[in-house]
Amino acid sequence: MSKKLIIILLAILAIALVAGALVYKFVYNKPHPDYISLKPDFTLTAENLFNAFTSDQTTASTTYNGKVVELSGKISKTEQADSLVIAVFVFKQGDFGDEGIRCSMDPRENQKALGLTPNQDVKIKGYLTGYNGTDIILEKCSISQ
Amino acid sequence: MNSLKFFSLVLVLVALTGSINAQKYLTKNGNIRFYSDTPMEKIEAINKQVNAAIDLSTNQIVFKVLMKSFEFEKALMQEHFNENYAESDKYPNATFNGKILNFKATDLDKGKQTVDIEGDLTIHGVTKKIKTKGTLEKKGEKIIGNAVFPIKPTDHGIKIPSAVVKNIAESIETTVNISLDPAK
Repeated sequence: MSKKLIIILLAILAIALVAGALVYKFVYNKPHPDYISLKPDFTLTAENLFNAFTSDQTTASTTYNGKVVELSGKISKTEQADSLVIAVFVFKQGDFGDEGIRCSMDPRENQKALGLTPNQDVKIKGYLTGYNGTDIILEKCSISQ
Repeated sequence: MNSLKFFSLVLVLVALTGSINAQKYLTKNGNIRFYSDTPMEKIEAINKQVNAAIDLSTNQIVFKVLMKSFEFEKALMQEHFNENYAESDKYPNATFNGKILNFKATDLDKGKQTVDIEGDLTIHGVTKKIKTKGTLEKKGEKIIGNAVFPIKPTDHGIKIPSAVVKNIAESIETTVNISLDPAK
């Protein structure tokens, strides 16, 4: 085998290894999006979002599910469940108690959320996972104001 | 299941409960975890915002689960789960409507109870009757519920491509942990 051929084979091998490592790092092991730093796909009031889902769930689901939304409005309360802190906008009373929008905070934002007082004006951004019949659920939330 | 059906079910629940509303217990922060174990890959996901309700006067039990609220260790697994398997855009919710069998609310005064639960599990738009064992326990005001049972993706019309068939278990272990408060 000529020297040249060996060099070419080694070069191909090196490229394949690097490509493999890159695929592993950026595709197979790619990190979860950092929702705190993501720009919102939609910015609207919490009330308008709730009305959108309660009046036409199908259209609202197609529009907002899986999207990053930034909501403004008066927060009703914050709850704690195990390690989760959840900021809640309540718009209605139903058979399952309060109905509205439940924003589970990114752990880095827990302290900020616990410092909120009821009726305070807030802007909360998060990843909307859907409407379960009583509440709209947002995950990985952060408080932008 | 669409929300209309869900609400009619809730209405039925309410009608059945009537004046003994104090028998109804709820949570909006139930945990459901699933675990797929194969020699190739271990896949685990958890959902911490599950709606669950138990009515001790009728023994009805209801769960509402948002598929996109399942969190995976790897972002890619989460994407594949939502896009290729659960098809969460098309089927955003999973539900369970069932009954606790051979059980009286007063049994809980005797301590932790092992119960049989039977009902309809709807995932990926496909409903399947399941039966499993679970436990219920009264702790102060709360009721703590646990169950572990297998779910087969094929039972719910979820196709696993042959290329990854070795990476995903045929039967996925599902663990439910709920801590319910009395309805106000």
